[in-house]
Amino acid sequence: MIPDTVTNRYRNEYDRVFARLPGGPGPAGERQHHLARFMETGFPHPRAEDWKYTSLQPIEKREFKLADAAGNLDPAHVKALIPDSLDAYRVVIIDGHYVPEHSLIDGLPSGATVDSFANYLGSNEGTIQSPVIKDEPGSLTDLNAALVTDGAYVRLANNVALDKPIHVLTIATADQADQMNQVRHRFELATSAEATVIEHYVGLGESAYFTNVVTEVVASANSKLTRCRIQQEGKRGYHIGSFYAHQSRDSRIIDHAFDYGARLARTGTNTRLAEDNAEVHLYGVYAPTGRQHIDNHTRVDHATEHGISREIYKGVLDDHGRGVFNGKIIVHPHAQKTDSDQAANALLLSDKAEVDAKPELEIYADDVVCGHGSTVGQLDEAAVFYLKSRGVSEDGARAILTYSFANALVQMIGLQPIERFVESALLAKLPGGASYADLA
Amino acid sequence: MLDIKNLHAEVEGQPILKGIDLQIPTGEVHAIMGPNGSGKSTLASILAGREDYEITAGSVDYSGKSLLDLDASERACEGIFLGFQYPVEIPGVSNLYLLRAAVNARRAYRGESEIDAMDFMKQVQTTVEQVGMSMEMAKRGVNEGFSGGEKKRNEIFQMLLLEPRLAILDETDSGLDIDALKTVAKGINHLRSPDRSTVLVTHYKRLLEHVVPDRIHVLAGGRMVRSGGPELADELERYGYAGLEDEAQQASAVS
Ligand SMILES: Nc1ncnc2c1ncn2[C@@H]1O[C@H](COP(=O)(O)OP(=O)(O)O)[C@@H](O)[C@H]1O
Ligand SMILES: [Mg+2]
Repeated sequence: MIPDTVTNRYRNEYDRVFARLPGGPGPAGERQHHLARFMETGFPHPRAEDWKYTSLQPIEKREFKLADAAGNLDPAHVKALIPDSLDAYRVVIIDGHYVPEHSLIDGLPSGATVDSFANYLGSNEGTIQSPVIKDEPGSLTDLNAALVTDGAYVRLANNVALDKPIHVLTIATADQADQMNQVRHRFELATSAEATVIEHYVGLGESAYFTNVVTEVVASANSKLTRCRIQQEGKRGYHIGSFYAHQSRDSRIIDHAFDYGARLARTGTNTRLAEDNAEVHLYGVYAPTGRQHIDNHTRVDHATEHGISREIYKGVLDDHGRGVFNGKIIVHPHAQKTDSDQAANALLLSDKAEVDAKPELEIYADDVVCGHGSTVGQLDEAAVFYLKSRGVSEDGARAILTYSFANALVQMIGLQPIERFVESALLAKLPGGASYADLA
Repeated sequence: MLDIKNLHAEVEGQPILKGIDLQIPTGEVHAIMGPNGSGKSTLASILAGREDYEITAGSVDYSGKSLLDLDASERACEGIFLGFQYPVEIPGVSNLYLLRAAVNARRAYRGESEIDAMDFMKQVQTTVEQVGMSMEMAKRGVNEGFSGGEKKRNEIFQMLLLEPRLAILDETDSGLDIDALKTVAKGINHLRSPDRSTVLVTHYKRLLEHVVPDRIHVLAGGRMVRSGGPELADELERYGYAGLEDEAQQASAVS
């Protein structure tokens, strides 16, 4: 009999479903390889430096199962999750399965492919991991590669600029207890292609569930990807998000992340500026309240010359909220003329909230500019008084000032329906904040 | 309107106000002058409900209500307005948003429905013209990137729109050029009426030439050391506060 270890539970799950997993023999071989690696390494060790502040024990303790099919949702329910007046293509994944009825991928310009990841895997060229990115580190990424059921696949040919954003809506119905979603997205932009993708995660039910998602981006020369990640998992959801990007020369990735949901969320955002003059912007707002734990790790590899990275992460922490931010910037020996700047700011709204935010710079080139700063503070009491003296309530003053704190990052999105959506979602998390939702 | 009796306040055990008595009758404008550090801003902030100070003795009656029992937002809804010596910048939150929230907070306090958007914008339009502000400025983030003078003008703009019963203006005239000062004075005079009162905290007689007060009080060392009519301003400008500070010191040596 196989002993009931954490890794064996996932192997059993693999054995249960492998015949139904998408992809031909190629992907099947990849799955086995990654499963074997996961069996070897298991979940991240709690004493590993990168996992110092975040324990995955609550995930390890449970026995999560893949859903065999998407849970039923009526169109009105799905519509209610979509940001108001967002005109976008849409890929809807429910419980780890693409649902064409809720999706909208008609009328794409020629040279643009938007499909489910499962369909892509079933095609001749389908691979689980991008051949460009090759070997992603991390045992949770291995676990995802072994068990992935579906996701969104986007490919843009040379010079194709999408006329509308793509809204990738990943929903966990959490209808049954201990569901897991192993979802994978891939966005491939050929030379000078341009797209905006909104990766949106929502949890509905009351049961515990586990979403483990991997996003791969191949940004070819001179391409531009704007990515908004909105994480609104349910209050008993565990969210692990891993992002790997490979950037060719003159490419730009602008990433706007909003982590609001989940009992525990851990994201790893990794980009490699592999060729000259590539540029990445990483902007994030994370807002753990109640007993939420939100951990954002980012890593930018400046591998060659004239790379630009800009990073600002802002934490809003209330109640017993726990936040972690770690921003690793590695400037490799040949990455001269690197221009990098990072800021990590946190606003503590409660004296029980806690945050660990730190930059981690490794610089092996000498002709570079690398700035960084970090602040942790409370609301400015003079400003609270100013607002109250105008008649605004205490809660209202705190909500307005929190909005003001996060606003500069929201403004950078440049897509009004999303700006409004992430702003009102932030306000909705604060006591009395909902009545100030029209600030957005 | 306002009756302050024997008000004592301290910060971290450090006494700042040492027994203030002051009456402001309804319909009057009173000026409070006095040297730097004498406690003028402290008094103004305490009246508006700032909580950093510990009130160790005394009472404040505001139209029959015990003011010290209300929090700052309730006081605002009861008609008190503080013009800040150092107005705060709140980037990303538009002035108009704040004002609409302020107007609606007052209406909710009185059990009224929210203000009609058109009516509000009409009021804004009139008030903007009154204080010589551009609409663009009125819509910008609260004091975001404003010069010192623009911030003070914005305080008057807010005051006119909120129509307080008791306006307390803390050095709203400091650092203004003459044109801005005239606008500020015009705004204050505009609100002057038999059912409103105003407290002007100021250093300079110049404002008092444009807004002639009913009474002038001198605060020094946390105490009111002199009161008089508008002519007191001349005396203060001529002789300064030197003698008055001595008086205050002697008073505290005795007590
Ligand atoms: N929040 C505070 N904390 C510590 N000291 C304060 C505080 N507010 C005022 N003070 C002190 O109280 C005194 C009076 O200050 P203030 O009321 O600002 O005077 P004024 O407005 O007359 O110039 C000063 O000595 C000042 O340093
Ligand atoms: Mg002062």
